Amino acid sequence: MPEFIQIMISGLSAGSIYALAAVGFTLLWQASQTINFAQGEFVMLPAFFVLALMSFAGFPLWLAILAAIALSVLLLGAIFKRLIVEPMISHGTLPLVIATIALGLLLKEAVKEFYSPLGQPFPSLFPQEVFVVAGASISIPDIANFIIAMGTIIALQLFLQRTRTGRCMQATAQNPDVAQILGVDVKRMVLYTFLINGALAAIASVLITPVYLAKFSNGEVLGVVAFTAAIVGGFNQIRGALVGGLVIGVVDNLSAIYFSAEYRQAVPLILLIVIILVRPQGLLGTAEGRTV
Amino acid sequence: MSETILSVRNVSKNFGGIQAVREVSFDVKRGEVLGLIGPNGSGKSTLFNCVLGQLKPSSGEVHVNGRNVAGMRACDLNKLGVGRTFQQLSVFPQMSVIDNIILAGQEHHGTMLSRLFGPSDAGLTAEAEQMIAFFRLSHLRDELAGSLSYGQQKLVDAAMAFMAGPSLVLLDEPAGGVNLTMLGNLKERLKTYNESHDTTFVVIEHNMEFVMSLCSRIVVLAEGAIIAEGTPDEIRNNQQVIDAYLGG
Repeated sequence: MPEFIQIMISGLSAGSIYALAAVGFTLLWQASQTINFAQGEFVMLPAFFVLALMSFAGFPLWLAILAAIALSVLLLGAIFKRLIVEPMISHGTLPLVIATIALGLLLKEAVKEFYSPLGQPFPSLFPQEVFVVAGASISIPDIANFIIAMGTIIALQLFLQRTRTGRCMQATAQNPDVAQILGVDVKRMVLYTFLINGALAAIASVLITPVYLAKFSNGEVLGVVAFTAAIVGGFNQIRGALVGGLVIGVVDNLSAIYFSAEYRQAVPLILLIVIILVRPQGLLGTAEGRTV
Repeated sequence: MSETILSVRNVSKNFGGIQAVREVSFDVKRGEVLGLIGPNGSGKSTLFNCVLGQLKPSSGEVHVNGRNVAGMRACDLNKLGVGRTFQQLSVFPQMSVIDNIILAGQEHHGTMLSRLFGPSDAGLTAEAEQMIAFFRLSHLRDELAGSLSYGQQKLVDAAMAFMAGPSLVLLDEPAGGVNLTMLGNLKERLKTYNESHDTTFVVIEHNMEFVMSLCSRIVVLAEGAIIAEGTPDEIRNNQQVIDAYLGG
């Protein structure tokens, strides 16, 4: 039992970070029909911003993290939208998907080429200590990561539900033409969504990288996990992406211990296939009708 | 003489080699209810979209309250006091009725800071409830808009168009797909609103009975050009209009 509790807490901690990436994935889809297959690399990259700022500019960790979040908002939010999404979206969803796959490869190879092909240690944000509850060893980073990730998602949800801008962003996601007619600056709302995704990716990056080391290839796993979490939870619901992330985190950890550590990465994909076959709208998603 | 709210001056719209709207001009006075009718493909919706900033006219000008708005963004046009309803359902399906109505009015209130971080009801709950009551939707206040019947969603759509207190509202086939009971309610509410607020309406409609009983003046389009203009009685008896509808 103590082992099960440890696995669950560790899984929920990892899952809450996956949820950050999945929520960003979902937001981009809702606001602009952008399926961002570079999302994994978006989570990989900010950790290298932090390392570069600490190594080359001598920033302390906290300042490097703040600067990396700001850089991510600018580069992975505004510049990504301006240079990749805006020119491609008018050609349809598929060309944009291909463009984001290409961007992911570019970012991965650029980090490998210009920073390092080797995994880099990343400073932990929290003391590496454990405390024991009911016989289970709980690590402080797991708890802290969970609190920060969930706090970020709850804050985002409150922003979307309780502020006028948040409501306008929801309106833009649900019916952009009508939102525009009602006076909502739809372009600005879509931009806000990209900026938020940049920030979410950066927060996920600084939380997850101490666990994995900073590696150019981190995005491969994280991208699949974010996509899977979004599909499992429901592509058109933030709370769906949250649940999807948590489910993937827990299932991933449970399968590593009770099934096979070798095949642990296959288990979320099996879950993805089952969900698509049984409940294509996801656990919490709603079915969408499209005229073709 | 009452003030001109909408002035359409020599508006044309081409799509490649096809001229969808040809040199159309008309004025609409404050408080007037103008019908815009014509057979399918006559250019009504294209003209509507040119007026609303969703299409940029190839030539010509559109003035709202004396200001040339041709090519202006729809969101900016809304802030000038222009509202619209849609031919297709146009509510936000995952929001409640009250939230839909509040959203429709909120962009006209407050500063940039309050838009970013202010409370989501923007202080408009009481006003939105009045609007809901006006359209007899109070019993549906907290229902998700997407769960309402087609006719009820049309009423929500109309309430949304009026929430920002527009001086001009363009109604795109308000009667389309609405059952007879709901249609009578909608027409009566529109008339009451027009009389009580002196709001100007321009209505595109295929339902002749609806448009003839609601509008004080009618403009008829065929093949992108105006072929007739007059009171409902004059239009009913106009041979050119009859020929256009019968394909003569």
